[in-house]
Amino acid sequence: MSVTADLRLGVDIGGTFTDLVLHDPKADRLVLEKVLTTPEAPERAVLEGVGKILAKAGFGPESLKSVIHGTTLVANALIERKGVETALITTTGFRDILEFGREWRYDLFDLTIDPPTPLVPRARRFEVPERVGPDGRVVTPLDEEAVRRLARQLAGSSTRAVAVVLLHAFRNSDHEVRIGEILAEEAPELAVSLSSEVTPEIGEYERSSTTVANAYVHPVFRDYVARLESGLKQAGFTRDLFLMLSDGGAVHAKAAVTYPIRLVQSGPAGGAQAAALFGQAAGLGDVMCFDMGGTTAKACLIEGGRPTRARDFEVARMHRFSKGSGLPLQVPVVDMIEVGAGGGSIARIDGLGLIQVGPDSASAQPGPACYGQGGEDATVTDADLVLGYLDPGNFLGGDMALDVDAARAALLNRIGTPLGLDAEQAAWGVHETVTENMAQAAAIHALEKGRRIDRYSIVAIGGAGPVHACSLARKMGAKRIVAPAAAGVASALGMIASPPSFEFVQADMRRLDEADWPAVAGALDDMEARGRDMLRLSGVADGDAKTTVSALMRYVGQGYEVETSTPRDVAVSASTEDLRQRFDAAYKALFGRAENMAVEIISWRVVVAGPVPELTLKGSGTVPGQALKGHRKAWFSSDGFVDTPVYDAAKLATGDSFDGPALVEARESTLVIPPAARATIDPSGAILVDLL
Amino acid sequence: MTELDPVRLGLVWRRLAGMVDEVAETFIRTSFSSVVRENHDLAFSLLDRNGRQFIQTRKSIPSFIGTLPATLRAMLDKFPLETLKPGDVLISNDPWLGTGHLNDISLAAPLFRNGRVVAFAGSTAHTVDIGGAPSPTARDCYQEGLCIPVSRLVVAGEENQTILDFLNENLREPEETLGDIRAQLVAYREAEARLFQLMDDEGLEEIDTVIDEILSRSEQSMRKVISDLPDGRYEDEMTVDGFDHPLTIRCSLIVKGDGITVDFEGTSAQIDRPVNCVLNYTRAYACYALKCALDPHAPNNDGSFQPITVTAPEASLLNAARPAPVWGRHLSGHYVPPAVFGALSKCAPDRIAAESGSPLWNVYFRGRDSRNDRRFVKMFFMNGGHGARAGSDGPGCLSFPSNVSNQSIEQFENQVPLLVTEKAFVADSGGDGTFRGGPAQRLSFLNVGEEPLLMTIRHERITYPPRGLQGGTSGAPGLDLVDGKPIPAKSETMVQPGQTVTFQPPGGGGIGDPKKRNPAHVKADVASGLLSPAKAKSVYGADL
Repeated sequence: MSVTADLRLGVDIGGTFTDLVLHDPKADRLVLEKVLTTPEAPERAVLEGVGKILAKAGFGPESLKSVIHGTTLVANALIERKGVETALITTTGFRDILEFGREWRYDLFDLTIDPPTPLVPRARRFEVPERVGPDGRVVTPLDEEAVRRLARQLAGSSTRAVAVVLLHAFRNSDHEVRIGEILAEEAPELAVSLSSEVTPEIGEYERSSTTVANAYVHPVFRDYVARLESGLKQAGFTRDLFLMLSDGGAVHAKAAVTYPIRLVQSGPAGGAQAAALFGQAAGLGDVMCFDMGGTTAKACLIEGGRPTRARDFEVARMHRFSKGSGLPLQVPVVDMIEVGAGGGSIARIDGLGLIQVGPDSASAQPGPACYGQGGEDATVTDADLVLGYLDPGNFLGGDMALDVDAARAALLNRIGTPLGLDAEQAAWGVHETVTENMAQAAAIHALEKGRRIDRYSIVAIGGAGPVHACSLARKMGAKRIVAPAAAGVASALGMIASPPSFEFVQADMRRLDEADWPAVAGALDDMEARGRDMLRLSGVADGDAKTTVSALMRYVGQGYEVETSTPRDVAVSASTEDLRQRFDAAYKALFGRAENMAVEIISWRVVVAGPVPELTLKGSGTVPGQALKGHRKAWFSSDGFVDTPVYDAAKLATGDSFDGPALVEARESTLVIPPAARATIDPSGAILVDLL
Repeated sequence: MTELDPVRLGLVWRRLAGMVDEVAETFIRTSFSSVVRENHDLAFSLLDRNGRQFIQTRKSIPSFIGTLPATLRAMLDKFPLETLKPGDVLISNDPWLGTGHLNDISLAAPLFRNGRVVAFAGSTAHTVDIGGAPSPTARDCYQEGLCIPVSRLVVAGEENQTILDFLNENLREPEETLGDIRAQLVAYREAEARLFQLMDDEGLEEIDTVIDEILSRSEQSMRKVISDLPDGRYEDEMTVDGFDHPLTIRCSLIVKGDGITVDFEGTSAQIDRPVNCVLNYTRAYACYALKCALDPHAPNNDGSFQPITVTAPEASLLNAARPAPVWGRHLSGHYVPPAVFGALSKCAPDRIAAESGSPLWNVYFRGRDSRNDRRFVKMFFMNGGHGARAGSDGPGCLSFPSNVSNQSIEQFENQVPLLVTEKAFVADSGGDGTFRGGPAQRLSFLNVGEEPLLMTIRHERITYPPRGLQGGTSGAPGLDLVDGKPIPAKSETMVQPGQTVTFQPPGGGGIGDPKKRNPAHVKADVASGLLSPAKAKSVYGADL
């Protein structure tokens, strides 16, 4: 009935909803759909959603060119400890590395803290006689018989996955590879992860943690992808399934299943990609993606249309979101900070007589006081309701009525009465405090990347993002806020806007003047060839694949590396002077000065990426001047309660413009525009707010 | 400030704290010494005109808690407030005015606004070398390096060349130390700009009112917790290894109303070996221990410590007098928190931890690497087992009371001709109890170079292990071996090619009667191999 339409479909599984976005390139049109997530078998919701959105768009499954999928499955398996029983094989003398961690207190004063519990308990951490030295030479040969005995023992046990992490395997992987072969012979049903393949970087603890996490989720993820692929096939979809990686690249499912740990930030990476798209549509190069949901807020810096990236990540933080309380992972990720500052974050008075918000939050049951389910804690949502920012009769499009009196009572009980404030002042204090927490976290995050936060505009997504975005901008010194039209399905949209891409890192610690350039050239060639293989699988022709190379460098004696991008030819031409100048320039850009000291290279990074898909965003409204739907009282610190116009986001059209104060209601969220601000609707349908 | 309601105060306070963290981050990232970068061996603070510290960065170590105010007051005694000029920076590393050894250099700069000092930015950072010949055999502080008296390092924006010349001539690695000092000067300019921006944004002419509120609220928070403790005198006494003979640390806590006096009367006299500790350092660790136990979540500033008085007898181990050698001050100072907890366990048993495997263990290796013909000095840190807590087991090898992370073995082996042959938990090494202490760890280093190397160690708890509390037993004592044979814990040894040295820092103490331990936890420890079946039976009465 229909011809092949080369449709691209993005699917994001969230905690509550599975979001879908379909792009039809011929008509340059987007179709959106939401279905309830099915946590026990997430592929069910995906398959249901795919059927629904295709019907809505009027196409059959054969019209789909690609499905790009993001999932929190990997992160959740780690947070909820729902991976498989995993064993660790390591060098004799070092089975406890995984448990020692860094031996560092992430909270200086709290005597009750514990280091993160390792994913593999001590009884399943095994040692084999072998040793490789720091130069890659074998000090003690691998005892293959011992490996074989261990492999047989594991084959007969309930263990389903094995991580192999040997000292210095990033420099010489022979022993790890041999252990992998023996395991394949003796225990073929085990899922095996080798550290030299998962993350060939220096640092035994972080490499162990990453490889173990990869092994721990591997069977769960592989089985899920298999079920999803077979379901899609039965539904008539025969083309390619892609998965969204944590760094914002998309790879073919066949390539993704080997390294599931690279999907640990899959969903949020989609959100960041979408924010990049929204920023570009608004003509802004440097933006901060601000995603505030029910329990946390996340921020990511986007520069020149690309989310900034990091080479490590910490998952499953156990203690107030503290750095150091989670499992460290050496994986390329979109660089985000996350703080316990969401709509459900609980406000209370601390020991100093001041308002404190979060990091803990009221869960869905009983939830914020205004949900009327018996919750007595005052939350950010309660504050936003009392301030008039949220409409009690129109929350989630009217699906859930909010109880203003309950919110007011909770705010008075917990904050107002003890501090001598009325309900509105207390609510304002909560609103400002949670926003200040986010502003502080964003400023530190930017600084850790050598940036200043005040030069970014804000793209607000998530249920609570638009409510707090303008206050946040004021605190950050930002001038412009973008509230995109498709914010409710941002992650899924970001997935279809992501290029196929894969990153490799290879450690090679040497002084710049002692580098082994032929070996560097070999390593770069190898990484590039592997990347092109992965992209070919994803249907990208070699001519369309672009390779970028960078060296992670530092002054000898320093502890932080600075990423120095370099053309590949410079990197292998033994032109140390050129590379040195590039490093000095990169260092100076970050810290304002360069030093006259020796420089060392720590590792090389190669990214192979295909072209970025093109798509255009359009607003839903067509006729300007139709969106005003009424007025209600909203509280602003400068004026107290003000009779504030309320607009319907769905009816805003390009060319509409109005001054703050104003409220713009969409199904998923409300944009709060303060006094002394001006809003305009741009051609993409986004609301641009300029603070005056 | 137009009006200081709690909402506004909270926001301004948050901004000040965030600002100091940001400035400290700039310093950390541009620093040249790995102890600053990786171990956060630094403090960065804002202090008021009277030297009261009202904000300290979150990234700082316990031994610097509350020392900067004392240092700044000493600086102001010499250079009174009214004589300071915009662009001045003061410096000193005098152990008795600062943090207790010469390796910590403190700096402070007045921040002028409209001709008036509104605050000081101050910082302390560790420098690995300060000249001299610090060693376990040093007999006085003059051997331990260069002392910089309180001086103007920068005079009205001009660097004082005389001081820089002294540093250049006396230090082995002056570039690293001067690089760190200049990084702090850059950070001060940033602190000044950001503080004034904040004052502009908030419409504040002065910040004295804000500072008063910050300090008084922090003080009230601590006083409230103290007043919940029963009044009385609570004592503890511990015997420690010492140098040639054991030494005594005696601690009395006198709780009266909403104040506490910590008195170390009865502590041994100072000795002519570098294990003595100045009163500033003793006070820092006493305050740290009390804050951990009583008010861990309040911000870290002078206010919290107003209710606390710390005294120790003159010329004692914990209040050393010049010219006592003080290089290894942590060898007595790290006993202060367990002594405070020991006394506190008698009135607040739920708030403390049993003894940990500290004072912190470290080892210096010096030699020549024939692979690249470079000389090296490399320090390696080792943490012992953590003491049991009132409601949970002690974690294995979590740093306390200092906060020093371990190093990557792969990185270490790339830097020195040593092969680490094991880093593992030791079975049956945590103290037993209802809640057991953290296990000890064992580390071995094989000299794979072609030349001997010089190894320096100064370790404690070989004779007197970390004690348990309330019926819990002691952790395993520490151990130092060369090729399997014990060597003195405070010594210098030539390690020959092919020799292996082994260190086993102590295990943590347990809390409570072992017979009351949850049988499931006993079983789990046996399964993990950390508890032998024999001990499970004999100590815990387990039926396996």
